[in-house]
Amino acid sequence: MSNNYEEQWPQKSPSVEDIEKKVKEFFKRTRQGRKGFYLFLIIIIALWLASGIYIVSPAEEGVVRRFGKMVRVTSPGLRYRLPWPVEQVDTPKVTEIKRLEIGFRTVDPGPPARYQFVEKESLMLTGDENIVDAQIIVQYKIKDAPHYLFNVKDQLGMLRDASEAALRQVIGANTIDDALTVGRLQIQQEIKTVLQRIIDSYQSGLSITAVKLQTVRPPKEVEGAFKDVVSAKEDRERVIYEARGYQEDIIPKAKGKAAQMTKGAEAYEAERIGRAKGDASRFLAVLKEYEKAQDVTKKRLYLETMEEILPNIKKFIIDSKAGGNLLQFLPLEMRELAPKKEQGVIKEVK
Amino acid sequence: MSAKSVTSIAVVLAIVILGSASVFTIDETQTVIITQLGKYIRTVKDPGLHMKIPFIQTVHYFDKRVLEYDSTPAEILTKDKKNLVVDNYARWKIVDPLKIYQTVRNERGAQARLDDIIYADLREEMAKHNLSEIIDVRREGIMKTVLEKSDEKARQYGLKIIDVRIKRADLPREVEESVFARMKAERQRIAKKYRSEGEEEAAKIRAETDKQRAIILAEAYRQAETTKGRAEAEAIRLYADAFRKDPLFYDFVRTLESYKKIIDKETTFVLRSDSELFQYVDRLSK
Repeated sequence: MSNNYEEQWPQKSPSVEDIEKKVKEFFKRTRQGRKGFYLFLIIIIALWLASGIYIVSPAEEGVVRRFGKMVRVTSPGLRYRLPWPVEQVDTPKVTEIKRLEIGFRTVDPGPPARYQFVEKESLMLTGDENIVDAQIIVQYKIKDAPHYLFNVKDQLGMLRDASEAALRQVIGANTIDDALTVGRLQIQQEIKTVLQRIIDSYQSGLSITAVKLQTVRPPKEVEGAFKDVVSAKEDRERVIYEARGYQEDIIPKAKGKAAQMTKGAEAYEAERIGRAKGDASRFLAVLKEYEKAQDVTKKRLYLETMEEILPNIKKFIIDSKAGGNLLQFLPLEMRELAPKKEQGVIKEVK
Repeated sequence: MSAKSVTSIAVVLAIVILGSASVFTIDETQTVIITQLGKYIRTVKDPGLHMKIPFIQTVHYFDKRVLEYDSTPAEILTKDKKNLVVDNYARWKIVDPLKIYQTVRNERGAQARLDDIIYADLREEMAKHNLSEIIDVRREGIMKTVLEKSDEKARQYGLKIIDVRIKRADLPREVEESVFARMKAERQRIAKKYRSEGEEEAAKIRAETDKQRAIILAEAYRQAETTKGRAEAEAIRLYADAFRKDPLFYDFVRTLESYKKIIDKETTFVLRSDSELFQYVDRLSK
């Protein structure tokens, strides 16, 4: 034990020697002398041994190294190790999920959160040689504490490099339209898989719990054009809806008009047939009576008609002795018709 | 007491110095080689406490973890003569500390060598491929080739290259502008396409609507005219059936009907006194 104790001296030798001398001088001056020196030594050793007590909190795992060689992994609780320089302990937080931001940094977690964008990280080429602005959050935790502690130098730098490489590799394998729309979930999953594979190849002892695509958007230089595509899509829908509106307006109207026509025709049919039937039955009724007394009836009908017609009209009765020539009456006729001629109306006489 | 304690202190010090010079520890992250007056003795890879001959043997520590190599971004020409700014990184390990000690002394020396090896291989490999191959899924294959080649060369320095990856592969700033222009044009094309598709669809719907309307109206016309014709025919039949019973009487009655309609008060009638109506007038006047 004392051997181990002494081993620490050479590293700090000059100052420690001085201290020892001073300590001894102090004890020399006291009356206890040698006795006091041993007591002091015992206390020092006791304190040194006590320094081996350490606590592993529930979120942690203790990894103990003896002279640099890993000897055991301890679970949460109050633990003991041999004091420095024999044994050392590291207590990485194994249950804690940490996050890494690629393409942006949270300046102020808020609320409202403020971010700073890192274009150098977030602008990248897609498989169809377009440029897209993509940001991710990588969530990870320690899955193997010894691997985490001893296998990779600069774990964080490694993870950042690997995340960027994985992100670009996956985005590069997709087209811009996939990246912007439907492929998001798949891209997230792929980045996670690729990233885990990379860090596993370094035996980093880290596990990627999630990769979240924060934003995927076109670069701001072309954002307007991309937005216009969206509004063009809406325009397309709009004109189609307008046309549908036209359709929904016109077709019912046409149907209405059609109904009007067919119903009108049906009405005409009913009327026409009705009238025909009426006329026919009237005729037949008249005929029936006529047949009973043909001569008288005929004469009567004729006269009745004449009585009806003649009272209201201009009539000239010409004596048959004057001959059938109407020409002699023409002036009379003309006189009669003269005022009407101005209006251009000449009623023909049948 | 004084002389005795001086002696004891000297003895303790001697033990301490001798002890510390003859032991050394190796951490989990380290590997060492031991030289004796500059001459290589052995390599120790096991972590823990080890012994050596004090004073004449020296311990050289090397990191055995996965180490970082990050090059500065460099512009590389692809097979299709496109410039690409490539920022690659590699992860490597010291596998043979003796070789590294003999050839490049230490880790920093190794870094410099890696620069030469990886950059050259990367450049060479990139020149064999088109830009699209470097960007898309084939990238992994290319990087694997670079890795294998570089690793082989790195072996002579006692290094093992575990991974070579392109962290960023971007177009140079000035090319980026033209890509943006192309992207814009592409989007404008798509936007135009969408709008034209809308117009097309709308025109189709309108034309279809107009067609439907024409069909509906024509069909209605057809129906209406058929109905009317049928009515007409029926009426004719009805009239004919009735009137044919006595065509002469029909002629007489219908003519009289017509007179009532045709003759109105504008009509001037010239009647001969010997007409049927006035036959009696005539006869009386004789």
